[in-house]
Amino acid sequence: MAAAALRDQLTALLSSMFSQGLVDEQFQQLQMLQDEGGTPGFVSEVVTLFCDDADRIINEIATLLEQPVVNFDKVDAYVHQLKGSSASVGAQKVKFTCMQFRQFCQDKSRDGCLMALAVVRNDFYDLRNKFQTMLQLEQQIQAYDPKQQ
Amino acid sequence: MARKMIRVLLVEDEEINRVVARAALKAAGGGGDVVDEAENGAVAVQRVRDAAAPYDLVLMDKQMPVMDGHEATRRIRGMGVTTPIVAVSSDGLPADVEAFITSGADDFTSKPLSKEKLGIILAKFRLA
Repeated sequence: MAAAALRDQLTALLSSMFSQGLVDEQFQQLQMLQDEGGTPGFVSEVVTLFCDDADRIINEIATLLEQPVVNFDKVDAYVHQLKGSSASVGAQKVKFTCMQFRQFCQDKSRDGCLMALAVVRNDFYDLRNKFQTMLQLEQQIQAYDPKQQ
Repeated sequence: MARKMIRVLLVEDEEINRVVARAALKAAGGGGDVVDEAENGAVAVQRVRDAAAPYDLVLMDKQMPVMDGHEATRRIRGMGVTTPIVAVSSDGLPADVEAFITSGADDFTSKPLSKEKLGIILAKFRLA
């Protein structure tokens, strides 16, 4: 596929991520920092850190919620961490779900937490797939023209 | 006239937040500043104590393992250090801000850090 077509595909993908509310202006800020700072791998680094963090945190939360007696303070600390990572990368939908999740932690509601976990996991997997496609497209574009980015 | 290089201590336990903050600081300050990092409050207190020259600015997270931002701020002030300390947290309720100010912080800004927020902070403390 020609570089121009790949760029169009990337633009369309990013546009749909914004319009669906998956990412917000913080993600734009990261792209701007990358462009202004002349650091081509910056967005990729932050996205990778976020995906690794989120995956680990979601698994930790799931394990905690399987315990006979749930430590809601610990669950809340992990959700707070996930909310922070989401805010840093601009993962708006995941961040909003985390805000609701924290309310269930404060209410010490296991059912609420399990429901919120399912939603946040779904939001995260959806976003991670789109981030992976985005990074693949960027790599393909760069392979056409290494001076780009 | 060229702006003088400043020394910043970034206190934050999450790597992703440190990476974003470092890039935002570079963009806001022009890239010539020295940015030291501490992954918790105890390390921050140690860095401030051992610094060869005083820091010009400390950016302090709230929730961290080992020692939180409130305690670290109190201890740094207890050492007689007057460096501006700006609290950085996603918990921006008035009570959260007040708790940090009571600990000895000079200002508060919400996460995530951005070039614009840091630009305002640098200007406020005459570091721009």
